[in-house]
Amino acid sequence: MQDAGRGGLSTRGIVISAVLAAVAIFLGATRLGFIPTPTGIAATIMHVPAIIGGVLEGPVVGAIIGTIFGLYSFFYATVPMFKDPIVAIAPRIFIGVFAAWTYWSVRRASEFWAIVLAAIVGTATNTVLVLGFGTARHYLPVKAAWVVGITHGIPEIVVAVILSLAVLLPWKRVHRGQARARV
Amino acid sequence: MNEFELLRNITIGQYLPVDSYLHRLDPRAKILAAILVIAAVTFTPSLAGNACLLAGGLALVWLGRIPLAYALRGLLPAVPILVFLAVMQLVFFGRNYDPTSPVVFQWRWIVVTGAVLKLVVVSAARFLELLLVTSVFTLSTKTTDLTLGIESLLRPFQRLRVPAHELALVVTIAVRFVPTLALEAERLMKAQASRGARLGGSRWRFISRVRRSLPILVPLVTYALRRGEELIVAMEARAYTGGAGRTAYTVLASRPGDWLAVGAAAVFLAAMLLAPFPA
Repeated sequence: MQDAGRGGLSTRGIVISAVLAAVAIFLGATRLGFIPTPTGIAATIMHVPAIIGGVLEGPVVGAIIGTIFGLYSFFYATVPMFKDPIVAIAPRIFIGVFAAWTYWSVRRASEFWAIVLAAIVGTATNTVLVLGFGTARHYLPVKAAWVVGITHGIPEIVVAVILSLAVLLPWKRVHRGQARARV
Repeated sequence: MNEFELLRNITIGQYLPVDSYLHRLDPRAKILAAILVIAAVTFTPSLAGNACLLAGGLALVWLGRIPLAYALRGLLPAVPILVFLAVMQLVFFGRNYDPTSPVVFQWRWIVVTGAVLKLVVVSAARFLELLLVTSVFTLSTKTTDLTLGIESLLRPFQRLRVPAHELALVVTIAVRFVPTLALEAERLMKAQASRGARLGGSRWRFISRVRRSLPILVPLVTYALRRGEELIVAMEARAYTGGAGRTAYTVLASRPGDWLAVGAAAVFLAAMLLAPFPA
């Protein structure tokens, strides 16, 4: 009913995209979304709202959140690589889409593992595509991209999995009526 | 207590109220022109082209009557990263990047070719140009105008099931929610700190930093989702049905002069892509 003439974006889709995009913008604006690492390059968790949006409401919502996150990171970037629209915006669109597809394909087997895999795929999408486009646009030599990918990609995946599980498992349980308390 | 003041540090939609040609420009024309200029910057690989683009960026700053220092605020924090990037490009690219280029400098295994040197200059120049263009754009456009412009530009695509009005609403709600989230995050941080939690910490202790940030992040996302649910109920209770047949309080009216900017930007992009710049 809600889909009529709206490109499949329901009221729920609009609002959930908006609040989660706001979380991504907030994490970027306050630097809470950047966790400094010993290498000097911060690990990011700003992409996690796109994963959560993709899991909760599907690929369209995930893509919208990712696009807004990408636009924000392009306009307010202080790192040369992210001042390039091809590196900053394009990869981010796919985070939520791939996370949603992964979640949908594993959901029947296990809710827990579906969320874990969605977070892993979503984060890996961000890392691989950003570094891939960054290398293709000659910001990074290939060797450096591998080093950054391994030293930052893996901690980012771990943090993203923990955060997604901590948010999504209780949230889904409440909505299915398995839990009593409000989260 | 400064560490708990998040709201003050958030700069989103940093509009600079000045009366200039760019400020008066129809937002639709400005968005299109900005996309064309950003494309020109992104796809120009030559030194001479980037010099033209830099001049173009400075002209935009002048046209928007924005103090140059203000437009370049983002530059200072980026300097260390720019230097780091340049060093990495100089040290690691070597002969892998364009092996035909002549060697300019060689010391043990570090080889710097002419092509790499050019790459370093072009990456830095490109950053500077994009910084100028995006600063001028955000400083001369109000967030409300931006969303109106996006909605109006996407409207022709509604036939292709692109939800123009809904996407504009997403941006509006997102921008509106950021300060609300900041207030809630301040409350969460104070609540955690009053129970003895320590925020922040050394960059060398990555795991403990992550563990300290989770008690803020998890409730924050949950709070956002809960507020979202409330908003959904509120909107559906008021029978929100989307953009069909809706009129707007502000109607954008463009003058011929507005489309001049788009034309100029298009000509500029074409010139950048087609001009036979040497190298």
